[in-house]
Amino acid sequence: MTQQIELSGVNKYYGAYHALRDINLSIPKGAFVALVGPSGCGKSTLLRSLAGLETISSGDLVIAGERMNDMPPRKRDLAMVFQSYALYPHMTVEQNLTYSLRIKGVKKAEAKKAADEVAAITGLSDLLHRYPRELSGGQRQRVAMSRAIIRHPKAFLFDEPLSNLDAALRVHMRKEIRALHDRLGATSVYVTHDQVEAMTMADHVVIMRSGVIEQQGRPLDLYDRPANRFVAGFIGSPAMNFIPGKVTRNGREIVLDLPGSHSLAIDLDLPPDHAVLVGIRPEHVRIATQGERGFDVPIAAVEFTGASTFVTTDTMPEIVFVLNERSSLKIGETIRLTFAPENVHVFDAKTEQRLGLKD
Amino acid sequence: MRRIFASVRDGRGFDIVLVGVPFAFLFALAGLPLIYNILMSFQEVDMFSLGSFIRPFVGIDNYVALFKQPETWPILTNTLIFVVGSIGGQFLIGFGLALFFWTNFPGASWLRGLFLVSWVMPGLVVGAIWNWILSGDFGVLNFFLRESGLITANIFWRSDPSFSLWAVVIANVWLGTSFNMILLSVGLSDIPGDLYEAADMDGANAWQRFWTITLPMMRSTIGAIIALGLIFTLQQFDLFAAITDGGPNNSSNVAQYWAWDLSFRQYDFGRGATISVIMTVFVMFAAAVYVRSTRHEVRG
Repeated sequence: MTQQIELSGVNKYYGAYHALRDINLSIPKGAFVALVGPSGCGKSTLLRSLAGLETISSGDLVIAGERMNDMPPRKRDLAMVFQSYALYPHMTVEQNLTYSLRIKGVKKAEAKKAADEVAAITGLSDLLHRYPRELSGGQRQRVAMSRAIIRHPKAFLFDEPLSNLDAALRVHMRKEIRALHDRLGATSVYVTHDQVEAMTMADHVVIMRSGVIEQQGRPLDLYDRPANRFVAGFIGSPAMNFIPGKVTRNGREIVLDLPGSHSLAIDLDLPPDHAVLVGIRPEHVRIATQGERGFDVPIAAVEFTGASTFVTTDTMPEIVFVLNERSSLKIGETIRLTFAPENVHVFDAKTEQRLGLKD
Repeated sequence: MRRIFASVRDGRGFDIVLVGVPFAFLFALAGLPLIYNILMSFQEVDMFSLGSFIRPFVGIDNYVALFKQPETWPILTNTLIFVVGSIGGQFLIGFGLALFFWTNFPGASWLRGLFLVSWVMPGLVVGAIWNWILSGDFGVLNFFLRESGLITANIFWRSDPSFSLWAVVIANVWLGTSFNMILLSVGLSDIPGDLYEAADMDGANAWQRFWTITLPMMRSTIGAIIALGLIFTLQQFDLFAAITDGGPNNSSNVAQYWAWDLSFRQYDFGRGATISVIMTVFVMFAAAVYVRSTRHEVRG
């Protein structure tokens, strides 16, 4: 598959501040890539570097086979949807849509036709003569998207486009953007701090922290095999539980640092006597059946979301787990928890990297 | 009685008092003189009738006589040249400087503040400085023009009838440019930066961005500054008094200076008032433009 965007060894400095560190990323044509991470992780800087709104300090940026390092934004043929939408306030919706065409010198009638076509796709047909200030947040968002679509760019860049919308609209637009992407056969790079957005929308998720790509891959691969503790904790909601433990002499078992300290038989090659962090997702913890081995823990909190119940234990560290049924558990009650060894993720306690990486 | 008192303390009466005080102030200090001025333009007012309130009513005789005077049209033309020249110069140089400082090089805001020095200087001081600069025999301006080869003989800016008006225009442009620059700088900084980024992504080069984003977004600021410029320029008096005194032979005389000259040097208060009324009409037009453009601000 041809690579639409290719970054190799990209670094970006702001003075002494190292904002992007050795970024390598290939985005095939037609892919939907999400850049996700906490604020300040460099995801927006990376997107703006793709756009040309920031210049990279070193490395190579290739778009559609052409090296674009020093190309100004207007020559990169990428379209960006800004978080603030950045609609031109002195232009009507139609003028906003046709701006890029008019700049290119496209004939008026042709530009109008293009605007009508795009407006029909995004449901803006009745709003073409309004000004941005007369539109709701969701409508402005559509205008921003339409302005990008009308150009048929080499790739779409989204900079947290949904963060100014309310929760319900956000979920709706999530599907709509993905559907548009598929319909247009576009290449999209989507920046978000919301891991749910990244997981649900993207084919390829790039998780960043402090200017470094921590891990990238298909959403479920990241979920199933997080490369380190950061990724493991970032993906999934509620977040993964981390329990300190120690590998036994024979390297076959881990003794968990929990009351009742029983050991967990793990089918991984682990260094003996090694301090580790055992990660277990809330949905993989369950209440032990009668007579089954496990950990006796008191309950600190019970939260009902309707469909499921989140239970937090009164331990150090606390363990959160999810029950998919109504529960009569009480705060203070002691229960026995257990989980299957195959659902466990083991990380080095010091480096926080995944251990025993074998398939 | 009690109800009225309560209303003044906290209610509609209080609102009326709040509006009434400045209104009374404006009426006493601006409204009354304006009405008195209009009244005088329909009366014959000279040294002898100046002290009395009831003076011979002459209808529009003052206006008719004024436009029969041979110097009227040249002076009105001078006024037009002065206004257009001053506003044009102030605006173009001011906008240029505002754009220059907008690039935000190190020390830009500090230097921009320093420019305001010219604006806070009294017109008479500015006039005195420019008298030296414009001086025919040893003026700095002539020196530069001569040394750069633009002129061969000295220009006698203040005493040559074909240059005297421009001498005042130059000084006035210098005086008003920084005010234009500051207001335009504020307008520029109000334009969200992401609009330029969006336009850049949309393929617009710097020149296209200026015409399609900067200028339209600055429309209300530009309207306001030109209206204010018209008002300030029609008020400019000090520079004429300091530099040319309206001469030689009225070649640099303008309406506002002439009105003062007629009233307080020739003691024809009626005609002086007549010119003031004509100018008031223009200023009110400018004020209307100003109010309109500040109300129609385009902000997303």
